[in-house]
Amino acid sequence: MTFKEKLESKQFVWCGEIGPPQSCNGDAIRNKAKYFKGFVDAVNITDNQTAIARLSSIASAKILLDEGVEPIIQMTCRDRNRLAIQSDLLGAAALGIQNVLCLTGDYQKFGDNPEARGVFDLDSIQLVATVAQMNSGFLLSGTEMKKAPEFVIGAAANPFAEPFEMRLIRLYKKINAGAHFVQTQPVFDLEIFSRWMDRIVAMGLHEKIAIIAGVMPVKSAKALLYMKEQVPGVKINAEYIDRMSQAGDPKEEGVKMAVEIIQTVKKITGVRGIHLMPVMWESIAPTIVQEAKLT
Amino acid sequence: MPNDLVSLCKPPISARERKFSRFFLFFEDLIKVPLFGCQHCGECILSSTAFICCQRCPKRLRNGPCGGTGEDGSCEVYPERKCVWYRIYFRSRRLHRISLLYKLNKIHNWNLEGTSAWLNVFKKRIDAPIWLVRNDKQRVKDRIADDLQREA
Repeated sequence: MTFKEKLESKQFVWCGEIGPPQSCNGDAIRNKAKYFKGFVDAVNITDNQTAIARLSSIASAKILLDEGVEPIIQMTCRDRNRLAIQSDLLGAAALGIQNVLCLTGDYQKFGDNPEARGVFDLDSIQLVATVAQMNSGFLLSGTEMKKAPEFVIGAAANPFAEPFEMRLIRLYKKINAGAHFVQTQPVFDLEIFSRWMDRIVAMGLHEKIAIIAGVMPVKSAKALLYMKEQVPGVKINAEYIDRMSQAGDPKEEGVKMAVEIIQTVKKITGVRGIHLMPVMWESIAPTIVQEAKLT
Repeated sequence: MPNDLVSLCKPPISARERKFSRFFLFFEDLIKVPLFGCQHCGECILSSTAFICCQRCPKRLRNGPCGGTGEDGSCEVYPERKCVWYRIYFRSRRLHRISLLYKLNKIHNWNLEGTSAWLNVFKKRIDAPIWLVRNDKQRVKDRIADDLQREA
């Protein structure tokens, strides 16, 4: 069953995430693909995440397809104007890539080329609308295509950044623009996340879009502290930091924590999937998925 | 049929009008730059962003903040500044103009960059500003109800 079919039949979905290497080594992706094959429904391929130049997401997605893993390509507005976005999307569709996650993109200042010129021709909501229009058979210029792509359109949401209400408005706009699923930033604060979900259910938005909660397993307390201090818009409950720093075996504790978060999040009304993002720790994905599915 | 995602240059801007536009822009700048921090995008949406220019955002976002707004509302790129959209949200709330934030703002037409937005409104290239919003809360509710029904 493909990711699209699972979304349409409202089944619970599992997503993974792979960051392409900073070299032309395609085997790095093939190796990482092994950890996800058979465990998740689709795998996100990041598009120059944190503004660091890496192997292209569409090329990596093609490698994944050949390995038998369904990819979700991330498409950012930082590096492309509307011409490049449309042409890249058509190329991706021609290669058989069906899922696209529309993002604004991290600002170039945070990456390895801080001197770069950011494009930001569209924003993520306009990108969602653009892909939706392409699905309906028209390019942005209004030109009709002979063959229209059939993308499953994804968007991102960050329930943990301020202002809280504005996040809901943005999610609402993304749904209206035509998004099919939304992946959230990693959940490290269950209280805020469930408050956010309550509001979504109250507005009736969970019926219109599949909400996939992000879960990030961490190896150490240091990683958590780094996230808290360096990554903008992330909220981490102090309890998790204490737990990680006091643990005898931080790696084991990290797995336990991730499984715990998954189990709590799964029970919240409206959550339709888990997006596992083991950054730099892909090998742990099978263990977590198995443990979380067991209990 | 494609919807109107991009505001098109209709009627097209002639060389003569561009010159004329500069004259207009002089007076527009006198008001808009000191008061709103205008960035001359030529496609003004000030009235739907609670009269704060959203183009001061480093990513020039027209549809709300990116995911990097700090807990105190700081911008992720320039932490010493407040996120423009953070300010827009709170001022919209104070002025009861939240319903305007629900609207999808079009993709920017770069041909309009550096032209006079007032002239563009007059020529019907861009939407006219919305001065008065009545019953903001009800409008939000209506809007959500409308959209939910339309798609169902």
